[in-house]
Amino acid sequence: MEKADRASGLFWFLFSLFVSYESYKLGLGNLYQPGPGFLFFWTGVVTAILSLIIIVTSLRNRPPDEAKESIFVKWNVTKIVLVLISLFLYALLIEWLGFLIVTLLLFIFLLGVIEKKRWWFAVSVSLLVTALTYMVFEVALQSQLPKGLLEFLRF
Amino acid sequence: MVEILQNVGYGFQVAVQPLNLMYCFIGVLIGTLVGVLPGLGPAAAIALLLPTTFKVTPVSATIMLAGIYYGAMYGGSTTSILVNIPGEAASVVTCLDGYQMARKGRAGPALGIAAFGSFIAGTFAVIALTFVGPFLSNIALEFGPPEYFSMMIVGITVLTYLSSGSMVKALLMAGVGLILSGVGMDTIGGKYRFTFNIQSLLDGVGVVPVAMGLFGISEVLSNLETEIKREILTTRVKNLFPTLKDWAVSIWSIIRGSILGFFLGILPGGGAVIASFASYAIEKKVSKHPEEFGKGAIQGVAGPEAANNAGAGGAFIPLLTLGIPANPVMAILLGALMIHGVQPGPLLMKDAPDLFWGTIVSMYIGNGMLLVLNLPLIPMWVKVLKVPYYLLYPLILLFCLIGAYSLENNVADVFAMLIFGILGFLMKRFRYEGAPLILALVLGQKLETSLRRSLIMSHGDFSIFISRPISLGFLITAALLLIVPIITQRKKLSTLKED
Repeated sequence: MEKADRASGLFWFLFSLFVSYESYKLGLGNLYQPGPGFLFFWTGVVTAILSLIIIVTSLRNRPPDEAKESIFVKWNVTKIVLVLISLFLYALLIEWLGFLIVTLLLFIFLLGVIEKKRWWFAVSVSLLVTALTYMVFEVALQSQLPKGLLEFLRF
Repeated sequence: MVEILQNVGYGFQVAVQPLNLMYCFIGVLIGTLVGVLPGLGPAAAIALLLPTTFKVTPVSATIMLAGIYYGAMYGGSTTSILVNIPGEAASVVTCLDGYQMARKGRAGPALGIAAFGSFIAGTFAVIALTFVGPFLSNIALEFGPPEYFSMMIVGITVLTYLSSGSMVKALLMAGVGLILSGVGMDTIGGKYRFTFNIQSLLDGVGVVPVAMGLFGISEVLSNLETEIKREILTTRVKNLFPTLKDWAVSIWSIIRGSILGFFLGILPGGGAVIASFASYAIEKKVSKHPEEFGKGAIQGVAGPEAANNAGAGGAFIPLLTLGIPANPVMAILLGALMIHGVQPGPLLMKDAPDLFWGTIVSMYIGNGMLLVLNLPLIPMWVKVLKVPYYLLYPLILLFCLIGAYSLENNVADVFAMLIFGILGFLMKRFRYEGAPLILALVLGQKLETSLRRSLIMSHGDFSIFISRPISLGFLITAALLLIVPIITQRKKLSTLKED
């Protein structure tokens, strides 16, 4: 965990510096009339100190066989990245293609490509889920999901 | 006393309206379901279902969302006992003895005592809530900005103190949450902060998309790599009603669990999870046969299950009377109430008595429903558990996507959720907790306003926080919570060195 702590500690340290700098630009005001950056400047200072503590403790507890340690070992990176890409694409395309089409595509992708289920199973489950969620959210709860390309159907 | 009874009567009128009864039922049913399903807790469920309540009145919405929380406490025990997988965090301890009971063929009494214990404790908590709530509201009316500031500091400190991992990391996360709460318009000066000319940041960072990301999406991402193994007991569950002997052994555990849970629930930063752990520890300590714990002692199921339900009830007190959420679930509920235009706090009882008393009384009814609902439906929940994860996770993801989008029919919320999903996943990897972040994010704006107002009030004199006795009391508590772990750690280190 030590290597990971050093990496994350460094990240939060830089983040804190950035926040304090931005807050300073916003104006700290004075104690009589604290400005918009006041609280966040000091929060940034405190989080910077906390992240330094994390870094220092991880340096102290450095294990001898650290060379072998890697944060990315055993990660099933491909699967996670693919799922994330599909989710981001869903968000990007939902207003253009409409809820029905993107949901169907997302489910076919998750079941057929990621989980490698047989295509007829993936397609039929996807159709069923899309229809059911549409009934629940659009028809029953009137969530006003985007219609996108299917706008002309007016259903 | 008469006034309270009148109020309860009024609450009944609100709660038994058919529509509200229906929402109460839907709430506890969904709550039980998310309690049963591992990988989806009450926090994510409330965030997910919030958009579905936009079309109903705030009272019905609150009744349903509250039902999800205490309903989840019931459902969580079922999976702990039958599958040895806690459906949510407050049922982790129930696995220890519940699953062992099930292996010995006593799944029925374990489920039964969990349900009855939950019912007794839940009802106790609601009765206590009825009496303590108005009392606290009256005290809180006297609070000024310094008291609120110090109280919120205690809330955040307690949560970091109780965090399971490193306290430094938990404090850091609280700081990050506080910083995120600053995004958007400054409520006092009207200046935009940390928006970097990004249109969707002008309104600030929404609690709900962040919660969905941290508790929903990130959970799925973590589970994608590790296949969840489930070995469901195939034996039929019978004899749900505990025997007289079971009752005799566990009734005191239930009573102790109820009282302990309730008080730990009120405590800012406390709640159901801590209550269940504390109850297990106490039951083991007072038992004449502590060696039986972990091998199927019924007290080990009865106590914690009572405690987590009482804790869930108690957690409503700081939210409804002070406007301060005690834990992440309450933080999301606070966000939900604010979206509905309700401002929880000491004035809530006067301004919206239908919501205050209606919700409390609906919890009496909801607890009854849960008892009736739970025992006969156990076979159904077991079937739900057999739904394979490759079907479950796409559904959870889809609900998150729909939920985030329909908050404001805005794709920006979906992106925010996904980004916090990735952050949450990395935080899990690097052992940071999400709870302090959410709590600080929700409290942030109030914390800043009360700090700045206090300083304006005192003309820049920080002693205003320690010259007022209530505020001083809060700050001393917070300081103790921060100092005690450092001292105990030093002691541990020195004893280690001596060894």
